[in-house]
Amino acid sequence: MVGQLTVNERKLAFLILILIAVVGLAMAITGADKLFVVHGLIIFLSALGTIFLVISGYFLPPPDIENAKHYYDDPTRAGIIIAMVWAVFAMFIGDWVAWLLAFPEMTFDAAWASFGRLRPVHTTGIIFGFGGNALIATSFHVVQRTSRARMPDNLSPWVVIFGYNLFCLLAVSGYFIGITQSKEYAEPEWYADIWLVIIWVTYFILYLRVLARRKEPHIYVANWYYMAFILVVAILHIVNNLAIPISLMHAKSYSAFSGVQDAMTQWWYGHNAVAFFLTAGFLGMLYYFLPKQAGRPIYSYRMSIVGFWGITFFYMWAGSHHLHYTALPTWVQTLGMTFSAMLLIPSWIAAGNALMTLNGAWHKVRDDATLRFMMVAAVFYGLSTFEGSFMAIRPVNALSHYTDWTIGHVHAGALGWVALITFGAIYALVPWLWKQKRMYSPKLVEVHFWLALSGTLIYVFSMWNSGIIQGLMWRTYNESGTLAYSFVQSMVEMHPYYIARAIGGLFFLIGAIVGCYNIWMTVRSARMLAGAPEFETPDLGIASAQEIKAGEQA
Amino acid sequence: MFNFHYRLERYSIRFAILVVIVASIGGFVEIAPLFTIDETVEPAPDMRVYTPLELAGRNIYIREGCYACHSQMIRSLRDEVERYGPYSLAAESQYDHPMLWGSKRTGPDLARVGGKYSDYWHVVHMNNPRDVVPESVMPSYRWLGRNELEPADFDLHLRAQQKVGVPYTDEMVANAINDLSGQANPDGKRAEGVLARYGEATNIRDFDGDPTKVTELDALIAYLQILGRLTEVAHQNPVMKKLEGPK
Amino acid sequence: MNFEHEMLVGFAKSYGLFYLLALSLLVLVYTYWPSNKKPFDRAARSIIDDEDRPWE
Repeated sequence: MVGQLTVNERKLAFLILILIAVVGLAMAITGADKLFVVHGLIIFLSALGTIFLVISGYFLPPPDIENAKHYYDDPTRAGIIIAMVWAVFAMFIGDWVAWLLAFPEMTFDAAWASFGRLRPVHTTGIIFGFGGNALIATSFHVVQRTSRARMPDNLSPWVVIFGYNLFCLLAVSGYFIGITQSKEYAEPEWYADIWLVIIWVTYFILYLRVLARRKEPHIYVANWYYMAFILVVAILHIVNNLAIPISLMHAKSYSAFSGVQDAMTQWWYGHNAVAFFLTAGFLGMLYYFLPKQAGRPIYSYRMSIVGFWGITFFYMWAGSHHLHYTALPTWVQTLGMTFSAMLLIPSWIAAGNALMTLNGAWHKVRDDATLRFMMVAAVFYGLSTFEGSFMAIRPVNALSHYTDWTIGHVHAGALGWVALITFGAIYALVPWLWKQKRMYSPKLVEVHFWLALSGTLIYVFSMWNSGIIQGLMWRTYNESGTLAYSFVQSMVEMHPYYIARAIGGLFFLIGAIVGCYNIWMTVRSARMLAGAPEFETPDLGIASAQEIKAGEQA
Repeated sequence: MFNFHYRLERYSIRFAILVVIVASIGGFVEIAPLFTIDETVEPAPDMRVYTPLELAGRNIYIREGCYACHSQMIRSLRDEVERYGPYSLAAESQYDHPMLWGSKRTGPDLARVGGKYSDYWHVVHMNNPRDVVPESVMPSYRWLGRNELEPADFDLHLRAQQKVGVPYTDEMVANAINDLSGQANPDGKRAEGVLARYGEATNIRDFDGDPTKVTELDALIAYLQILGRLTEVAHQNPVMKKLEGPK
Repeated sequence: MNFEHEMLVGFAKSYGLFYLLALSLLVLVYTYWPSNKKPFDRAARSIIDDEDRPWE
């Protein structure tokens, strides 16, 4: 790892890490509250550990010229492995909190183990830990390949991966010990937020620098989606996290916004985090890995462009559908509802485009679980975007809001779309990057696929049921015109569904563990073969590429 | 001429700027007017700010992630109004930095829970929710009663609140630390200061039933007991009166 | 204050619509402009045969 950095880059890495360590130490020493001190120590120790890593490779011979003539894939490899570690960790926490709702005594009288603190650990671990690392890793791969250009330097991608994971670590450790802003999906406190801005700017500049070096005149559409993801997430993050810390030595801050403005800003953020983190970024993944794995160009490149501008434009208006019938002015609610309905068009363009690409390659979908992951992801993308537009309609929302239906909807998207497309992309990418013909065990990919699919279906169906029952019970009147059920009665009805949901989640978690094992064994066999001659390119796609070239010449 | 887009992409920075512009407009159009409109937040002349103890309780509510299962936003729907009380008005959360409207009701809405149960009920409930609601799936929060409140820097909290626009007076800021414990000590001298600064209606009680120390449970219950009671404006809302009908 | 608000809402309600229509039109025209077909088709295929190393 360090061996591939040039001598100057090693020096620079050393300096940056020293700087981070000093900041961490300063936080730990001057910190006025205990929690702030803990975070100072975490920053200090993370930097210190990485410094040792740099020192251990500091005197290795500098990389030869050949290194600059290859794509730089080590950060992608690291990112994939880190993403899988986050996946197992955060899915475990997710399943744990699912069981907690059925058996609340499992908190063991420990603050860190209570539902309210674990829930953001789950959401942040999945969205930012698993999803974010997967997006960063795949974007590094895609932008180099589609630009036919190498990373401009060896250090920046590592800065992004180290810094981003430090942010995730601060976030998650903070919830355990009691640091949170309470803004959903933006819980980390002010110093972690500032750190993320620095890392994100580095990421964006790195991305632009690769694009600037590109040999292809046209920027492939997947990069548009990745760029929109990076840019808009930056805007959302900065605006929503505007806050005033009580002092520079305390973890606590107070949001700059209050009440209705804060609610609108928060859900403008929250909804667009779904749009640009969990949709745009992963569509970038889809538009590269699905055609590549299927060995066929995307069905309609033009549709992907129309879809891109549609998503970029429409999504930003839809956030207010999280606030129907609240104290938010009605015209804003109506606007949010209208744009949510229109969002269905670009969403289905993307889903349809993906499925049409597979026309003529259905035999591959049947035989290749990796491609099937991506296909089912596209189906779930289509389903959950339809559901989302539907739930944004005010009267529907009156029933669905505050209930488990929302949880079901979110997981149809998160499990069915985000996680499945990511697993598909990772199963495609791992053999390519580690120069293997295929995964260690295609059978285990198959096993993972069925576990993931059945887990998702069990989860989503149980939450649909419980959500609709809840919503209906809350608004049912008896003959004398009073409410028929108490809140507690509705809660009792949820119990069987909460257990079913936890079992579905468990299936999904086991699938992810199987995936980790498979990836690990693939990497291991690659290492054992390291002496043997390398495969030039993955087999998949080459034949069809030649066919296409032949077609062009004819 | 229609190579425009093609050229645009060749220069990735321009492309990036275009994405930012296209994407920003939605947010701007929806959010900006909320800051200029007078009617977004209706006047509530009787509205008071949180006392230091209530604010500390609110911070514990945030720390423990209570908002993940409890909303504080009663929607303008008949069943919600009948179950929880008058629907929430924007004015009621105007000093909430950040707001805690929530997004999920695993447990019931808490926007008007203040005064609904006794302090003792809350103490028992926090100690083990199943002692009062056998079917409850809420965790037990026993550590709140064990942890003493750390008031050392509470003036900084009020100062920051002042900076983001909550009308705390300098006097309130200066006395924050005293007021914090004063509100939980009805017999102490400092209680009078709380009443003078935050109004006669302020709850001055030993909330957790343990007079030896001021705990996090004191703060949390003080906060829960004020929810929905900072202003009467929601009860005087003419639309609401019509909904409630003649008594 | 009120004037500003009405201005903002008015702007949102009128020019927002024009902006939306113009933007859709621009995107569609660009996407389906005949001479753009070729580069798009090329781009779509370009990922299938990407090689193991960057172009010199």
